[in-house]
Amino acid sequence: MKRPELHRRGFARAIAAACLGALCLGAPTAWAADDMPTIKLVMNSGQLIPQTLEVPANTRFRLEITNTGKDAAEFESLELRKESVLAPGVTRKLVFAPLKPGRYNFFDDFHPETGKGVIVSK
Amino acid sequence: MQNAFIVVWRESLEALLIIGILYAWLSANDPKGKGKRALAAGIAVGVGLALLLGWALMSAQSGLVGDAQEFFQIAMLCVAALLITQVVFWMSMHGRAMKANLENRIEAAHSQSGYYGVIVVAALAIAREGSETVIFLYSASGTIQEVLLGAVGGFAAAILTAWAAAKSLGRLNIGLLLKISSILLLVLASSLLVTASDHAINLEWLLERVDDDTLVRITDAVWDSSGLVDDGEGVGKVLADFAGYRARPILPNLLAWGGYWLLAASLYFFWIRRRGK
Repeated sequence: MKRPELHRRGFARAIAAACLGALCLGAPTAWAADDMPTIKLVMNSGQLIPQTLEVPANTRFRLEITNTGKDAAEFESLELRKESVLAPGVTRKLVFAPLKPGRYNFFDDFHPETGKGVIVSK
Repeated sequence: MQNAFIVVWRESLEALLIIGILYAWLSANDPKGKGKRALAAGIAVGVGLALLLGWALMSAQSGLVGDAQEFFQIAMLCVAALLITQVVFWMSMHGRAMKANLENRIEAAHSQSGYYGVIVVAALAIAREGSETVIFLYSASGTIQEVLLGAVGGFAAAILTAWAAAKSLGRLNIGLLLKISSILLLVLASSLLVTASDHAINLEWLLERVDDDTLVRITDAVWDSSGLVDDGEGVGKVLADFAGYRARPILPNLLAWGGYWLLAASLYFFWIRRRGK
């Protein structure tokens, strides 16, 4: 009875240590790439402004999302592998890996009927 | 109201399906009711965690949360996937122990860890999606009556869906119930790991360490089956949510999915061999 208990604790500790280690590794390196283009998106109660975002192809970029609406929004895109819940009034920056030229759909998962947009990479 | 209905239904469904499957199996295999109590405890803990998480996410400063949130998501997804796997293998062993009526210490220890697994799996399932629902409902626009009506309706619809699943599972004989529950749970666990691999690619911690060329290679779709089954809507979306389907999978998705099934298969064969002795 006792043994598995110990194993579990050891396992939990190992996970905690790994997470801490990963965070520490990340801490000292500052953001080197401040020349990264920043694209802005406003989410407002199911409205996406603008609905079509143009981004430079094959370049990493930052998407600054602000939720100006009265209710929560969720920026989601399966093909861009992003999912982020924004409470009202919150601004969040997401960094995107370089995209090949093309069209990538995203949507507001909390306003599925109206909140549909597209990122055009060219 | 329509929004609240759809969002709450969709967000609750995954957790309720996991709970429904576990409930169906426990009903047939756990006469003492210990597992059901564990399940109830997991649900209670999960609701508490969802409220806490939702509150923490809402009050966190804008911009500060980025990577910490991603790390947290990844950790939750991985722990949930591993524990679901553990519970599935516990289910097999527990069923066998019950049949043989073995009450020795090893079996007791195994069954004990399974109950803990059930608690954590249920709690994590609710906490993950529930925290988003909390944020959604807390700030939903519209009159309180409208939002409540939609939310309660959506939740009821999700319970009905999960109940129907549990009910039809319960009709099966014990052997088949175990097989189908196991497969459904393992498929769900594999899907959680695919989602975790998506989150991993988003880590700024990773992005700032990898050069553009490598990044393009990592995030390039290995194939594109969106013309066949699109993962954005209909069947494809259901498959994406519950089975980890991606119409444009990237290498890390495939590694997470393949790695998981390799692990599950080797555990299975290891266990089969041990059973043979």
